[in-house]
Amino acid sequence: MTNTAQRLSYKAFGLQINSEFPLPELPTCDDPGILGAISVTREELSSKWQEIPKLSSHIGVSSDHEVMFQVPEIAIFSIRDGHSIVVSPFAAADEDCIRLYILGSCMGVLLMQRNILPLHGSAIVVNNKAYALLGQSGAGKSTLASYLMDQGYYMISDDVIPIMLTEGVPLAIPGYPQQKLWEQSLQHLGLQSSEYRPLFKRETKFAVPVHNQFHNEPLPLAGVFELEVKSEGSVAIGPIQGLEKFNTLFNHTYQKLMIDRMGIREWHFSTLARFVNRLPMYRLSRPADGFSAPRQTSLLLEAIYEGVDQ
Amino acid sequence: MRKITTLHPSDIVVQAEGNIVSDMDGEKVMLSVQKGKYYNLGEVGGDIWNALSKPATVAEITSTIERAYEVKADICQQDVISFLQHLLDEELITLLDA
Repeated sequence: MTNTAQRLSYKAFGLQINSEFPLPELPTCDDPGILGAISVTREELSSKWQEIPKLSSHIGVSSDHEVMFQVPEIAIFSIRDGHSIVVSPFAAADEDCIRLYILGSCMGVLLMQRNILPLHGSAIVVNNKAYALLGQSGAGKSTLASYLMDQGYYMISDDVIPIMLTEGVPLAIPGYPQQKLWEQSLQHLGLQSSEYRPLFKRETKFAVPVHNQFHNEPLPLAGVFELEVKSEGSVAIGPIQGLEKFNTLFNHTYQKLMIDRMGIREWHFSTLARFVNRLPMYRLSRPADGFSAPRQTSLLLEAIYEGVDQ
Repeated sequence: MRKITTLHPSDIVVQAEGNIVSDMDGEKVMLSVQKGKYYNLGEVGGDIWNALSKPATVAEITSTIERAYEVKADICQQDVISFLQHLLDEELITLLDA
């Protein structure tokens, strides 16, 4: 380890990220993001990890706005005050894997420390507004987003969608120009999975750069689609109404288990209450078998342009 | 089994702990953290909830609402009791011993 670590500045999630770790999937930038700047540095954390009060064997939270977590064989991470991520890699840890945690779990916690709501899903642009595609793993978020991009629509984020409120209007903030796809969906979309770099060796997701169709400015979030798989039936859409909207958005908050661990449930609930009433939300279900993206796309566009019968 | 109680004007009630309330376009919404359940108390319900921040008799709550909304006493009492009964059934308020 040297004390002359080089830092490069990258742009993602509305932040300028000054990182000692190379983050090649992110575009570089010279300006602070709309949410400001953060640092990602390398530092030995093992003694700090021993001291911090633990919530579980892998997570620690201290009162002064610090969250730490340990991933065996990979690294110990510390996220502080919404402006720094410190990484203490274990010997021979996989670099790709460390990066995945920096851009995923660490970012989710950091955004919440900054009072930014991170939703778990993909966001696409229709008519210069952002629409979020939320759902459990395997619900088909990335596949549908990818199909929409084939039809010429732009992506604003994949996996983590930071939502910022300005005067009660939720804004979706761009992630970074890359899409994560499961191998199965890549085959459907006619791409060869060998052409893309695996996110890391134990994952079967693949990363696809999307520089040409990435929207890199924040846009108002104008609707939410919760994707759902049903064992049978056809592709169908229906509205999500009333208090159920709170449930949906809570369930699809990135790192939702951290909300109570960080003691920010009240902030989370009141943040949702400020916009949920005015945000159209739909449940879009598809059968488990077959490739439903074309039909899902027509129902989604119909809902955006014409609404859905209550 | 929880005891089923019917509220009387002289009963003393107060907000139960462990609920988070927030404002949603003028309506009071509430999350029971323990149950993971959401409630919309509405506008009047929000005022009733505020009146429950300290222990008060059902009769006191009723007259607060009566004054605020200028409604007839008998109708008001009926509505307030039935609302409080819902809150009690959902364990959102606690009945105190007189």
